[in-house]
This record gives sequence, C-alpha cells and structure tokens, in this order.
Amino acid sequence: MPESAIALLWFGLLVLLLAVAVWPRVGVLAWLRRGRRLSQRVQIEDALKHILNCELAEQTATVQSLAGVLEIPPAQAHALVTNLGAMRLSELSDRGLVLTGEGRAYALRILRTHRLLERYFADRTGVPPADWHDLAESAEHGLSETEVEALAAKMGHPAYDPHGDPIPTKAGQLPAAHGIPLGALAAGDTATVIHVEDEPATVFHRLLSLGVNVAVPVKMIKADPNGIEVLIGGVARRFDPLMASAVTVERVEEGDGHTVLFERLDDLKAGERAIVVQIAPTVQGPQRRRLLDLGVLPGTDIVAELQSPSGDPMAFRIRGALIALRRPQARGIYIRRAPVPVAAA
Amino acid sequence: MTLVQLAGPSSRQDYIVALAGNPNTGKSTVFNALTGLRQHTGNWPGKTVARAEGTFLNQGKRARLIDLPGTYSLQAGSADEEVARDFLLFGRPDVTVVVLDATRLERNLNLALQVLEITDRVVVCLNLMDEARRHGIGIDAAKLEAALGVPVIAASARRGEGIPELLAAVHAVATGARRTTPYRIEEHPPAVESSIRALVPLIEAAFPGLPNVRWVALRLLNADDRVRLAVETGEIGSLASGEWRTTPDQTPSAAPVMTTAQRALLDAVTDQRWRLPPDFHDTLTASMYETAHRIAESVSLVGVRRVKFDFDRGLDRLLTSRWFGFPLMLALLMAVFWLTITGANVPSAYLADLLIDTAHPWLKNGAAAIGFPWWLSGLLIDGVYLATAWVVSVMLPPMAIFFPLFTLLEDFGYLPRVAFNLDRFFQRAGAHGKQALTMCMGFGCNAAGVVATRIIDSPRERLVAILTNNFSLCNGRWPTQILIASIFLGSLAPARMAGLVSAAAVVGIAVLGIVTMFTASWLLTRTMLKGEATTFSLELPPYRPPKILETLYTSLIDRTLIVLWRAIVFAAPAGAVIWLVANVTIGNASIADHLVGWLNPVGVMLGLNGVILLAYIVAIPANEIVIPSVLMLTVHTARIAGMGAGNGVMFEMETAQVGELLRSAGWTTLTGLCLMLFSLLHNPCSTTIYTIYRETKSWKWTTVSVVLPVALGVVVCFLVAQVWRLLA
Repeated sequence: MPESAIALLWFGLLVLLLAVAVWPRVGVLAWLRRGRRLSQRVQIEDALKHILNCELAEQTATVQSLAGVLEIPPAQAHALVTNLGAMRLSELSDRGLVLTGEGRAYALRILRTHRLLERYFADRTGVPPADWHDLAESAEHGLSETEVEALAAKMGHPAYDPHGDPIPTKAGQLPAAHGIPLGALAAGDTATVIHVEDEPATVFHRLLSLGVNVAVPVKMIKADPNGIEVLIGGVARRFDPLMASAVTVERVEEGDGHTVLFERLDDLKAGERAIVVQIAPTVQGPQRRRLLDLGVLPGTDIVAELQSPSGDPMAFRIRGALIALRRPQARGIYIRRAPVPVAAA
Repeated sequence: MTLVQLAGPSSRQDYIVALAGNPNTGKSTVFNALTGLRQHTGNWPGKTVARAEGTFLNQGKRARLIDLPGTYSLQAGSADEEVARDFLLFGRPDVTVVVLDATRLERNLNLALQVLEITDRVVVCLNLMDEARRHGIGIDAAKLEAALGVPVIAASARRGEGIPELLAAVHAVATGARRTTPYRIEEHPPAVESSIRALVPLIEAAFPGLPNVRWVALRLLNADDRVRLAVETGEIGSLASGEWRTTPDQTPSAAPVMTTAQRALLDAVTDQRWRLPPDFHDTLTASMYETAHRIAESVSLVGVRRVKFDFDRGLDRLLTSRWFGFPLMLALLMAVFWLTITGANVPSAYLADLLIDTAHPWLKNGAAAIGFPWWLSGLLIDGVYLATAWVVSVMLPPMAIFFPLFTLLEDFGYLPRVAFNLDRFFQRAGAHGKQALTMCMGFGCNAAGVVATRIIDSPRERLVAILTNNFSLCNGRWPTQILIASIFLGSLAPARMAGLVSAAAVVGIAVLGIVTMFTASWLLTRTMLKGEATTFSLELPPYRPPKILETLYTSLIDRTLIVLWRAIVFAAPAGAVIWLVANVTIGNASIADHLVGWLNPVGVMLGLNGVILLAYIVAIPANEIVIPSVLMLTVHTARIAGMGAGNGVMFEMETAQVGELLRSAGWTTLTGLCLMLFSLLHNPCSTTIYTIYRETKSWKWTTVSVVLPVALGVVVCFLVAQVWRLLA
C-alpha cells in the first residue's frame, strides 16, 4: 500500500512539473517565448517597421517616437538607432529617421509578414479580431522567407489585410493609399468602410463592438465638432473625433444596407423562407468561398426545412439542394423574410 | 496532391476522357457504366478523393477515363478543386464529360460553366433523369445543348439509359467530328471586366493563340499560383499549340528567363489586383450563378406535374424529428451491431474449425512427412500460417456482415442524416458531425474508419477524426473484451447475473472509448490543431433506393477484402516473430523469457504483467492474436506442463479453462480490468498506422496517432492500478 501511495505521489509531481512547463500564457515555455521578444533582432525589426509606418503616414520618426513605440528607455533607443545606422538600414536626416533602400526592403518584408498573418488569423482561425494584431506582432519575427511565401500561397495571395491595408508584394511593391477619413463625409453621404486602424487598441476594440468593419456600409447623419453621428448597418451610432479618424471610407451609391437592419439566417424557423441579402463582411476565406460555391448569393431563395433534433445545425433548401449549416455560419448570412410558397407549406 | 501519370499521346490509349461533376451527382455510376469497372459509389458528397481510372473501347478506339474529384467549383479553393482544375488545364483531356444532377440543375450548371471556360471539348451528361422525373422536374436537353454549345446527353446511368448516346458523343468530340461552341460569359461586372480587358492584350502579346485568354486573365487576378507559374515558365504558351501534354505533378521547376512581354503581364496583374474591390470574387460567383439561373429557367419544361417532395420530406421529418430522431438512429445502429455479432459467430467458428483445428495439424503432419526440419515447419506453419489463419477466422465474418450493412445505409442516404442529428455534440468538441460515421465504421475496423474520413472535407476536422478513430473499439478487440470480462468481472456477480455484468462491462468500455474520443477531439482542437483551417457544410442528398446486390459486391471488394489483405500482410511476419521469440534461446532461456522478465516490473506498475506487454508488442499487427499470444506466452514462461500446443504455437481454449490458467499465473480482477482498459487505450494496429500514414502523408500526425492512445492507456492503467492497490 505505501508503495502505491509513493508511486501516485511521484505521478502527481510529474503532472505538476509538466503543467508548470507548458501551461498557456503563464508556463515556463510561454515565459521563455516572451523573453525572445526582447532580443536584438526583434528590436531592429520593430524599429524598421515603426519608421516605415511613419513614412507611409507622412509623419516624422524620431528617437523619441521610437522609444515610445518600442517601450524602451531613450538611451536604449539611441543605441538602437546607432546600430541601425551601422547596419546601413536607416539614417538620421533633417526629416528625422529615414530608411535606406535596404532598410525599406527589410521593413516591407516585415510589414508583409505582419499583414499576411493578420489575414490568416481573420480568415482561417477562430481568433477574435481584437487579438489579430498582437498575435501577428509576436509571430512575425519567427518566420523565414519561405514560410511567409508558403503562407501567402496557402491564403491565395491576398491583396489586403483584414483592416483594409494593402499587403506589400514579395518584391516590396505597395500601392498608394486611397479613400477619405470618415469625418470628411457630408451629411447624407453614403460610403463603404475600406480601412479600420488597429492602433491604439482601445479605439479599435470600441469600433469593432459598434460593428465597424471593412466592407460595412455607412451613412453620415450629421457631423459637429464634438463628433459625428452615422448609420452603421441601419443603426445610428455616435463617434468621437478620435474614433472617426481611425476609419477610412470610400464614397458609394446608397444601397439597402445603408439604412436597413437586416435579419440573419439563424433567425429563421423550420418552414420559413427568406431571400439572401448578402454574406456578412466578417465571413471571409474558405468559409465565404464555400457558401458562394453552394450558391448563397444576394437574391438567393432559401427555405429552412429541418432542424436537427439536438437543436443545431439547421438544413436549408438552397437552389434545390438540402444543405445543413451550423448556427454561427447561418448567423453570417443577412436575409430578408419572404412569404412561404404554397407548395413548400 | 497529384492525380495521374500521363504518358505521351503515343502510348496505349487513343484518347483521354476526364469525368468532372459536383459531389453526389452519380459521377461514379457513370464511370462504372462506361468502364464496367466496379468502383464503389456511395450516396455521399465528396466520395472520389482518390482518383479512379479505367479504360474502355469506343468504336474501336481505346479511351482512358479519369474520374476527377467531385467539386462544387474550380476556383482552386481546396485540394480537390486544385487537382480537378490542374488536370483539365494541364492534363489536356481530349474530352471532358461533365456530369450534371438533373434535380439540382442550377448549382451543377455553375460548375459546367467553369469547365467550359477552360476547355471547349466538353460533353455534358445530364444524369439522374429518372430521379428528376420522380420529382416532377422536366428538362429540355436539346434546348440546354443549344444554350451551352456542347452536346448534352440525358441519362440515367444507374439503369444504363443514355450511355450509348454518351459514348457516341464522346467519340464525336474526341475525333473532332463534332465541333463545339462553348458558352462563355462575355461580360463580367464592370469592376472585374475593366481589369480583364486590361490584361487580355498583354496575355495575347505574350502567348499568341491561347484558347482561353479571358479565363487565364481571371485566374491571374485571383492570384492562382499554378497559372502564374505557368506564365512565368512560359508553359502556358504550349497550351496554344495543343501539341503536348505535361503531367500535372511535373511542375516545371527551373524558371527560364522571362521575356519582356511576360514580365509586363505579371506587373500589370499586380497593379490590377490592387484596383479590384476586395469582394470581387463574390461578384464573379454571382454573375456565374446568374447565368446558370437564367439557363436553368429557360430549359426547364413547363407543364410538367410539379410533385411536392412528399416521400423524401416526410421521411426526413421523421428521421430528424425531435422525438423519433435519436431512438430510430439508436435502434438502427444497434440492429447493425447485433446482426454483425450474432451473425458472425457461426461462420467464425466454422472458419476456426477449418483453418486451425483441421488444416493446421494436417499441414504439420504433411511437413513432417516430407522431412521439413522442425524449425522450418515451426516458423512457417506454427508461426506464419497460424497467425494468418487466426486473423482471417476472427476478422473476416464480422467484416463481411458489418460493411455491407453499413454501405446499404450509406447508399440509401441515411448516414448523412445521422451526421446531421449528432453534429451538435461534435461541434462542441471542435469536430465534424460526419465523424459520427467514421467512428461507427471504426467499431468494424479502425483502418476502414480512417479511410472513411475522406467524406470529411474540412482538413482540420478530418485530421481530428483520423487521430481519434482508434478509440472506437474495433472488431478485433471485442473478443478480448468479452473473454476477459466474463472471466474476471462476470465471476464477481452471482451466477445468474454474470452474463449481464460482463456484457455491461464490455459496453461500458465501448462507451468509455466514445467519451475518450470526444475528450481527445476537444483537447486536440484546442491545442495541437488550434489555428488549422476549418469549414463546415453538410449536404443531405435525396434518398435513393439502394441496389442490394451491387452493394454487397462492391463493399466486399472495396472494404472487406482490401482491409483483410492488408491485415494478412502484416499478420504473417508477426506470426514468425511470435514463434521466434518463444523458440530462440539466449543463455538458458528463450528471448520471450528475457523480455517478459524485463517488462514485468513495468507491467505490474500498470496493473498488467510482462506477458501482456510482450503480447501487445508482438501483436501490434493485429489485435486478433493478442489473446492467443498471451495464452501461449503464459504457458511458455510459467513452464506449465501438459498445457498448450508447444513453444511458440498459439492456441485457444474454453473460457473456464482460460480463467483457470490465467488465475494460476497470478492474474487478479485488477489484471483483467487493466487489460480491458489497455485493450481500448493502446496504439492502433499496424494496418491502421499504415493507413493513417497513407491518408495524412505526415510522420508527425502518424506519430501522434500512435503516442496519444498509448500515453493515455499507460496513465489510465497506472492510476487505476495504484488507486486500486491503495484502497485494497
């Protein structure tokens, strides 16, 4: 009997050790991985990305701004800038810190990796939007060039990240920015969101929670110095100037989506019928493609026919075929109710 | 994923025919009708993942038929779509037969239109006309032919209707006697159209004479890697001449120097891609479907009696109803298992009597008569022959009953409804509802269960189903469970309850396996498989009357015999190993003695013993021979005189005698319990391991599939044994 007790004790100890080692976020392995973020290479890459971002936004990058973004003391930022200079990646000019040709190519590669990773998290995983940026930030330094290209190929070489930013090509090409700030719309203007800035994070999270996303239709109600009031997917929202400045839009003709709040496919009960308005912009990647291939398109007639005895999924008659969709998928399809035809009743 | 090795046009066939179509359109039936080859056809979306190939004679010409994977589109969004698309483009089939389901014309036309964009040598086979008639759907095939610009043949492949006409049309298109004018969408939505127009002159400049310029432009705008590579290497230019074929898996590697025209084209593609709206893929699909809808409307016959889908709908409502859905499902599955277990008893006993009790001594005597040395007849007859005979007699009868029954339910269309009913539980575990079916298949044979995961079209969910299939207690393990339960657990209860208790114990182990399957799926999708791609869609096909004789034949060929053959291939060498460890001596003890001695301390810690562990190691190839090996090794190492059939010769006895033998060798209730647990939770047999490797093509996942259950088994047995001893 004591032997068994000792054996069990040893086993418990082993399990405890293993848990301490691999526990997500607080385990030893996770801690070691975080430690790597402070390494030299990571600092250099983050610095280059910061300078590039400033150049793209036509702002001035300085040692101070660098120290602020990287959260390091000014002295360390200084040493970093000297180091960048010695490596001929960046130099100090009268316009502040600027990238050399080589530095720019390097920075574009990091930016490409970052935006591809965000696209990946958005399309292929269940990671919530609020975590895309941070996850991409920590994963972008570990990937080799071949891995990045494999990722791009797997994703079908996307041109834009989920925030609407263009992804630099393998050769480092990047198109000029277009679109106007949300605040620049006049009352009554209709537009589509083409970009949502993901930094600072608090503003981004707030925008997400209000339903602001790439490809979402917006209609300006009124603008005043304290902020703006807009219709987002048919619902009126108030934005302060800081939030409005994080959203870039493109003017489009007014459509239904600008003023109407649509129901979703999962609101249908068995026997009810609806017409598809659109697939929600948040549904991307293979999920979207599959729905399109099955013929779920604006104007498609859908009848909810069967509900699984366990409550989910629901089977829908789509273009003659009976297709089962899970609740979260059905939730991603906007619909307009239609009368039930006599034959199907 | 690659398709076929194609030799040049000079080899044995006169032309190549590709067969394309949506999943579940009866494509495989058309294949069988054309070639006479019995390829298995199930009432399942996404059946033909592995390619099938056959040949047939058509008016004196040899044609080679290639069955492409069933897909909803050719946008190269999945591995299947890529295979189909690559073959159509680079394999350059002389004729492509597109099989359409007449009852879902609109969605099927969507694929047909995409095929017509790539190649003009197309014949459309409008299949399932009988089913369409039953549902009151009428289609004017001549009008459809006029609309599409290629021959359209109305057919019911299952009855052979339309097959001669199809053959004639294929011949006409292949020989060029019939010229086609395929329908192509000339005007896409404006945003896309302007990009296409910008690229078309550049493509024509770089590759003059290309037959499908607009399609190539679209694929480049879609960032299609394979097409882009073909542009970079100039390979696509050879399609213009139509002179030669490339093998789809021989992608040209070394990129030659590009001409300025090629480079200008690629630069323009990059530029245009940023001008396209992000949702341009949506608008493209929409314009495809609009066209399909328009054509489908124009060819549907009005005045045909529109019957409501009464029978199908009524049956669906019953089989998925809240009150009857689950009870009916349980009753059906229980009936299948009951039929399998009881039906297999008689033929199993007969086979054992024939192969083991009669043929084995006869072979031994024969070998002695012609003067075989003892070691040769021992190795070949006691080792190799006996192990193989054992596997065949235990495995064949239940599989020959289980698989056809299962296949009948599958062909009828009931199994997708099971997946539909159970999906929610699998969804919670991060898995796919179809895993319910691969799990059930695993109760017959894990290797077959792993192959069956092909019906799951989402890569992550398929992997989960493969890795956890081993937790279904397979047919080879049931006898072990039943024997040990009746010896060690049934005896704990009063005599009249013994049968019930041991049956409950076995069912309990099977249920534990299901619970473990869910838990393991849940853990895998939250740790190792986090972040892998995931999609879900489940099509519920219409019910179709199963063809009983054909089902019996094909399931016997496709599932039973293939699995059995692989098991025999692995079991034969295992038999040799078992005989050798018991007969080769080092020092003054056999290898088995040494190994059992070393393994014993570990075994005891897990509530087992050295003999069991050794039996599990040598019996990796087949679970069926675990008990015979255990008995042989027990007699061998304990030096029990007057029992068994000699060193290294496996044997079996009456249950009571087995109990007596094992108890005298020191087995307790704990040993029995731990053996039952370990039999559930240990590595898959080598047939299954090999199958997992073939299906995943990954050493990593094969290793996980082996290590995961063994680790679980070791931990569970250890905990049970130590806690048991602590409390005892």
